[in-house]
Amino acid sequence: MASNPILKISKVSRTFGAIQALKEANFEINEGEIMGLVGENGAGKSTLVKIISGFDPGFKGSYQINGQEVKFETPSQAEESGIAIAQQELSLIPNMSVAENIFLTGAKVKKFATLNTLAKMARPYLNEVGLTDVDPTTRINLLSVGEQHLVEVARLISREAKILILDEPTAALGEAESRRILEMVERLAANGKSIIYVSHRLDEIFKITKRITILRDGVSQGVQQTKDIDVNKLVEIMLGRELANMFPAKADHISNDPKIEIKDLWPDGVLEPVSFSAYKGEILGLSGQLGSGAGEILASIAGALKSRSGSLTLNGETFLPKSPSQAIKKKIAYCSSDRKKDGLFLGRPIFENLTSPALNAISNYGFNFGATEQNFSKNLAKEFLIDVRRMFDESGLLSGGNQQKVALGKWLSIKPDVLLVNEPTRGVDVGAKSEIYQRMRDLAARGITIIFASTDIQEITYLPDRVITFYRGMMIDEHRLENIQTPTILKEITDPFNETNL
Amino acid sequence: MSTVIQESQQPISAKFLQFYKDRTLLAILLSLFAVMFVYGIFFTDNYLTITNFKAIIRDAALYGIMAIGLTFVTLSGNFFLLSLKETASICGVTFAMGMATGFGSPDLAGNFMVSLLAALAVGVVSGVIQGYFVGMGGNPIVVTLGGAGILYGIGAWWSDNLVINFTRPHDAEWLGTGSFLGLPSITWSFILIAIAAEIVLRHTNFGRKVYLVGANKAAGKATGHENFSMAIIVFTICSVCCAFVAVAFVAQMDSAQSNYFSAEFGSSGDMTILVIATVMVGGNSIMGGYGSTLRTSLGAIFIAMVDNMMVLQGFNSGPRIVGVGLMIVFSIIVFGLFAKGSRAQE
Repeated sequence: MASNPILKISKVSRTFGAIQALKEANFEINEGEIMGLVGENGAGKSTLVKIISGFDPGFKGSYQINGQEVKFETPSQAEESGIAIAQQELSLIPNMSVAENIFLTGAKVKKFATLNTLAKMARPYLNEVGLTDVDPTTRINLLSVGEQHLVEVARLISREAKILILDEPTAALGEAESRRILEMVERLAANGKSIIYVSHRLDEIFKITKRITILRDGVSQGVQQTKDIDVNKLVEIMLGRELANMFPAKADHISNDPKIEIKDLWPDGVLEPVSFSAYKGEILGLSGQLGSGAGEILASIAGALKSRSGSLTLNGETFLPKSPSQAIKKKIAYCSSDRKKDGLFLGRPIFENLTSPALNAISNYGFNFGATEQNFSKNLAKEFLIDVRRMFDESGLLSGGNQQKVALGKWLSIKPDVLLVNEPTRGVDVGAKSEIYQRMRDLAARGITIIFASTDIQEITYLPDRVITFYRGMMIDEHRLENIQTPTILKEITDPFNETNL
Repeated sequence: MSTVIQESQQPISAKFLQFYKDRTLLAILLSLFAVMFVYGIFFTDNYLTITNFKAIIRDAALYGIMAIGLTFVTLSGNFFLLSLKETASICGVTFAMGMATGFGSPDLAGNFMVSLLAALAVGVVSGVIQGYFVGMGGNPIVVTLGGAGILYGIGAWWSDNLVINFTRPHDAEWLGTGSFLGLPSITWSFILIAIAAEIVLRHTNFGRKVYLVGANKAAGKATGHENFSMAIIVFTICSVCCAFVAVAFVAQMDSAQSNYFSAEFGSSGDMTILVIATVMVGGNSIMGGYGSTLRTSLGAIFIAMVDNMMVLQGFNSGPRIVGVGLMIVFSIIVFGLFAKGSRAQE
């Protein structure tokens, strides 16, 4: 193995205000190598990737390419040095052809060119990523998502990228498509490109990488040779210590009284109809990676996503909500994973956010007058530990943790029977996290049934009383109370069919 | 991670701006009022007369009422109803038809209530239809621009592009030229409508929904407030306001023609531009979710003052429309500067 790494990062740290995203990260990659980069959510993977690709110049530490110290101020500078990143959200223009997308920017762009010329120029790059059967004049939106990923990579190669960062390239892909990506990665490495492969799917990591860098809490845990390590050991290094004390104690038993029965629900993103029940006063966790369908199931229970079939039974009524407002009437509350998109009215004050789902509760004959609403929202705020003095501030001014408390707390206003939460603590600091967990537990103890979906493995291990695991749109298994074990769940949501050993 | 980053770097100036945004915008507007007033007193003949101020507030009332209606549309995040003057045009024609011919039955000719209700009904229908298409996801600009063509066309077709006259004395004089306690009826209407609109926005569930949906459509949907019904209601409110103004204007002129609201209206000609300027000068957010009808009302008075000043200074309609256009641009720039501070995270 070559001893001179093409890219070497040592003792890099990065702080954002009070939050230390990276404490001490070391990273290196050799020419023609595939390096896995793993770590749980919030471990600092994305920060590290941003630093490498030049999006984030504000770090401390050393960054060397071919042994020379470099400092990138912008992503385009990084690109000139041969570093390119394919992000999860593709940056292709859907209405333009494959060839046009490949030569959208960069040194090879011609001032005048026919589509045929561009198509000829694009051919070798497409062949290199394995798109031999795709016509370069096809419009992007006619390709599958997996093929689009390959086009994105082809575009990076066309700009002479030597080091490619692939950030969760298979997160939204099915099995066959994922395999194409993996094949491409191996082919590129054989052609001498260095590839940083970021993924939550441990099976893929084991399949294609030679070495793995593991990040935990912003510190790199040394480089592991893939052949010397197994899944369990990797998970152990990823998680490190026990975090159980952040979480409230679980219930001592699960009631036998089903509160909501979900039958044959079948939204997009789920392979087959799904049925399960949630009991009174329990916290049920739906565990799965991005693309597992867990979040889609929650959204369709709440009427936010169309389901092809199925029904819910709640309080003796059987129905299927067609819109969120119907679900709200049936006392089903749904807190989505993206609070900025549809969880908060950022430009409006906090108290308006808190009472937004329950305007009827604060008004008489459609008229509302200050005092009733103030008291109502103050009580909600107190219950969710939101600073009462800030009630009139725009909610957009709050920190991520407090925003999440408002986004979640507003649903108490409808006195829900079932509370659905997708990613209860995304982008939330540790303190607010544990407060939110405590609140969820209190609500469950009060008899509210809570179903949440999460990609955070700690959360899914320590918070719920019952866990259902999902993998690529399929329901895999169910675990209860003390049988909820991290390794089992991790295995089930990343590699339930033993594909690692294929 | 990235969300946390943004918050922790949240500049203090944003908070400062949020707190002072309301007051500063108001202060800018009020100081402009003062400057104009002083300028008017010293440099303009006939400025400081009761007749002149009545004229100002009367002008302000006409497009102020329509602008209050439009404020509901803008606040709810549905941008603008661009068929303002065309809606007024067809409603005005309807009213005049009623007053002149009774829609074909001589018994009803000159019947104020029937004519008024017919005009308002036309407003309701056009508002509901345009609101329906916007609520279904149509782009408000395209939908209401299309609506504009259709409404104007029908009015012109129906009236053969002729002036419809009805002679005095008629039952609508009290609304057109009448006055009460020294103020014209239309001014009283403006005051009452402004108060009612402010109460609706501040103290009813509907008003709250207007703000919420305007601030974030997706979050509105998630909390059970869909833009579909919202669009229908706000476009109807706006169209009915147009209809009411059209009736008052036609009652004043004793006649109607389909192009009254593009040529003869107010002193600056084109009504749509005036009304949109009023909403913008008031400092309402063009993206929705922020503003009030009170601001709009102040905007109406401000524009009427500027316009009046230009009239007294002897400008003809060309430069006056330029003035109104400049005010729109200016207000968008000022509001944009303030909006950047407190709403940048959206």
